[in-house]
Amino acid sequence: MAEPIVRFTGVRKAFGDKVVLEGLDIELPRGQTSVILGPSGTGKSVFLKLLVGLLEPDEGQIEVDGVRVDGATERELFALRKKIGMLFQDGALFDSMSVGDNIAFPLRRHSDLDDDAIDAAVALRLEQVGLPGIEDQMPASLSGGMRKRVSLARAIVMEPDIVLFDEPNSGLDPVTSDEIDALIGRMKEELGISFIVISHDIVGAFAVADRIAMLYNGALVAYGTSDEVLRSQHPFVRRFLARNMDLPDLESP
Amino acid sequence: MTGLPEVFLRRVGGYGIFFAACVRSTFQHGVRWDRVLEESQKLGVRAFPVLATMAVFVGTNLAIQGHAAFSALGAESLVGMFVALGGVREVCPLLAATMVAAKAGTEMTAQLAVMRTKEQIDALEVMAVDPRAELVTPSLLAIMLVLPALTIISIALALVAATGVAVFQLGLQRGDFVDYMMSNITVFDLAAATLKSVFFGAIIATVSGYFGFYSERGPRGVGQATNQAVVVMCIVCISVNFALTSILYG
Ligand SMILES: Nc1ncnc2c1ncn2[C@@H]1O[C@H](COP(=O)(O)OP(=O)(O)OP(=O)(O)O)[C@@H](O)[C@H]1O
Ligand SMILES: [Mg+2]
Repeated sequence: MAEPIVRFTGVRKAFGDKVVLEGLDIELPRGQTSVILGPSGTGKSVFLKLLVGLLEPDEGQIEVDGVRVDGATERELFALRKKIGMLFQDGALFDSMSVGDNIAFPLRRHSDLDDDAIDAAVALRLEQVGLPGIEDQMPASLSGGMRKRVSLARAIVMEPDIVLFDEPNSGLDPVTSDEIDALIGRMKEELGISFIVISHDIVGAFAVADRIAMLYNGALVAYGTSDEVLRSQHPFVRRFLARNMDLPDLESP
Repeated sequence: MTGLPEVFLRRVGGYGIFFAACVRSTFQHGVRWDRVLEESQKLGVRAFPVLATMAVFVGTNLAIQGHAAFSALGAESLVGMFVALGGVREVCPLLAATMVAAKAGTEMTAQLAVMRTKEQIDALEVMAVDPRAELVTPSLLAIMLVLPALTIISIALALVAATGVAVFQLGLQRGDFVDYMMSNITVFDLAAATLKSVFFGAIIATVSGYFGFYSERGPRGVGQATNQAVVVMCIVCISVNFALTSILYG
């Protein structure tokens, strides 16, 4: 395997007494789509925040694209983050800016495109997420699913090398959800972007994923290609999949 | 158990670190002068009407109180001096600071706290944009620029209002009153008032920035941050005012 894009080694993260991740080792492949599954509250969002250096691990090492994230200086982090686009679970759009300004924000800061080129890029991304022509609306006037798609557009507008999506499909109807999955597939093929996607939508996850990781109780309980994960005998994995995919649940009597 | 002294020390330490980080980020990422201008305009326009009203009525009351105290002694000429000393040196700088704290300070804290709650500050960081340079420093500079101006304007308004009351309501000689008043206002006094307001501005902006930036997530966190910021700002401003008056006039 080529040099992985993300490598966690023995990572532990606790908040007070509550241990969220414990001894987590994982390597995610470059230029592919990795989907992280797991029940609510297992630390999937914490995993992404550790990855971009918003949180510091208590123990262990985190490497992203060859850069040590834990203990990095602000300068190193900013250099790395210019290659990363992130969709937060609740969107994190700037309330004081219009949809267009939100999506244009990273371009205005980090590219030297002129206004016309920026407008064109914004329009293209909005079209890709199925919301053409809403540049002038304010985030507060959008529905939850629309906000999610706008911040998805913002996350990919720089065409970053690494894209982190925290539940891109939650709150979306099945058709839009499929369109987002197709967009992920296209961008991966055309631009060689490494996607790391957190999902609750198991069927969708198996559709887009090259790798699937399942977190449970602070640990990795399954990791591999979809076939490998489907064959996992770990009781929690069986249960998690059975509830969602008509697989025999080996645990239940 | 965390005792009060420990919380206090942690807060002071945190504030120090925040302040240092703001200064560092200013040097590292430069100043967004467009945002400073925008914030200054907003602040000036918003705070001015209330401040002007308050300054006028502070002037009127200083004149009435001065008259009540000194006319009985037959020292009506001292009324102008009383207005000058109280208004210019003490009341107007604090008044302007209070208004800016109430308007701009609370807004800054609440806005930052909401952005913290909704992960918008995290989003800025992930976009490799320094949130202090983006959100805090422009408001900080705006407050430090606008507050001295507002202070000088409120001084002028208070003096004019005092003169009006002295002449038309209290029946004092206008020439005498104005002469006595103006002869007790020196360039030093105006410079001292300006200096005070620069300090107040820095305190208001950094304290409201600190509490907003590090607020706890959620609606309770937003309310808490705003409350704490106002209390701390007021206490620090009034203490610094005492220290500055002691140094400059003591
Ligand atoms: N900043 C924080 N401070 C304290 N606790 C936190 C913080 N962030 C996360 N946690 C805790 O860590 C645990 C994992 O949170 P996380 O948001 O990663 O869950 P998740 O797997 O993303 O869940 P969901 O699927 O519901 O989004 C939760 O118990 C949460 O309360
Ligand atoms: Mg989450």
